[in-house]
Amino acid sequence: MGEGLLSTTIASAKGGHTLSFLGLAVYFVLVLLIILATMAYARKGLDKRIFYNPITQCYEQLYLFIENMCVGIIGPHGRKYMPMILTFWLVIFLGNVVALFMPTSPTADLSFNLAMALVSIGYVQFEGIRTHGFWGHLRHFAGPSFGPGAFGFVLAIFISPVIFTIEVISEIMKNVSLSLRLFGNISGGHEAVLAMDKLGGEWVPIGAFLMPIKLLTCVVQALIFTLLTCVYISLVTQHEHDHGHHETEAAH
Amino acid sequence: MSHVLGLGIAALGVGIGLGLIGYGALTGMSRQPEAIGKLQTPMLIALAFVELVFLLTVFVAPGSFIK
Repeated sequence: MGEGLLSTTIASAKGGHTLSFLGLAVYFVLVLLIILATMAYARKGLDKRIFYNPITQCYEQLYLFIENMCVGIIGPHGRKYMPMILTFWLVIFLGNVVALFMPTSPTADLSFNLAMALVSIGYVQFEGIRTHGFWGHLRHFAGPSFGPGAFGFVLAIFISPVIFTIEVISEIMKNVSLSLRLFGNISGGHEAVLAMDKLGGEWVPIGAFLMPIKLLTCVVQALIFTLLTCVYISLVTQHEHDHGHHETEAAH
Repeated sequence: MSHVLGLGIAALGVGIGLGLIGYGALTGMSRQPEAIGKLQTPMLIALAFVELVFLLTVFVAPGSFIK
C-alpha cells in the first residue's frame, strides 16, 4: 500500500519530484503530523521547574529566536503576531526538511507556496484592518496626506490614485515574490541534486553531498519567509503608531 | 545557446550583488561586533531581494523562448 501510494503521489516520472494533488496532500499531512506529534511530546514535563525534555527545550529556543526577530522588526507590540509567525516558520521549515528524507517536499510545489503566500499577505491585510480600521487601512495605501489648501487638494486628486494603484499592484506582487522565492530555492535545490546525480552514473549518488547545503537553504528560506512577513506586518501596523507618537509630542 | 548565455550573465550579476552584500555586512560586523544581531536581519532581507532577481530571470526566461 505504501509503495503504491508513493508512486501515485509523484505525478510525472521525469525529474521525479513533481507532486500530484494527492501527493501534495499526503506530504502536507505528514508535515502536520510531525509538528503535532513533536508538540504533543513537548508538552510533557511542562510542570517541572526545569525542562529536561529535549524537544521542549528545542521549542523553547525556537520560540525565543522567533520572538527576538518579531520584537526586533515589528517593535514592542510584535509579540502579538507570534502564533502566526511561528506557525509559518514551523510549516515551511518542516516542509523543506522533509525533502532530505523523502523523494520530494510540499514546498517544492508552486501551488503550496502560493497558498502560503496568500495566507501570509491576507494575514497582513487582516492585521492592518484590525489596527487601523478598514478605511484607515485603505488610506495607508493612498500614500501620504498632502498639506491643506488648494495645492494640496490638487495634488491629492492627481497623485493619490496613482500611488494607490501602485501600492495595490505591489501588494499583489508580494504574493508572487514570496511564493516564487521559496519555490525557486527548494525546487532548484532538487534539480541541482538530480543534475549532480547524473555525474555519478548509475551507482554513485554524488548529489548526496549537496545535502548540507540543502539543509542550510531550508533554514534560510524559512527564516526569510517569516522575516518578510514580519517586515510587511511592521509596514502595515507601524504607521499609526508613529503618527500618534508625533501627535502626542506636539501636544506636549 | 544565447538563452543559456543570458542566464549566465544574470547569475554573474546576482553573484556580484550577493558578494557586495556579504562584503558590506562583514565589514560592518567586524568594525562593530556588538551590532551583529542588528546587521544580520537587513542583510538577510537584502539577500532575499537580490536572489529574487535571479529566480525571476530563471522563471521568466524559459517562457520567452518557448514559442
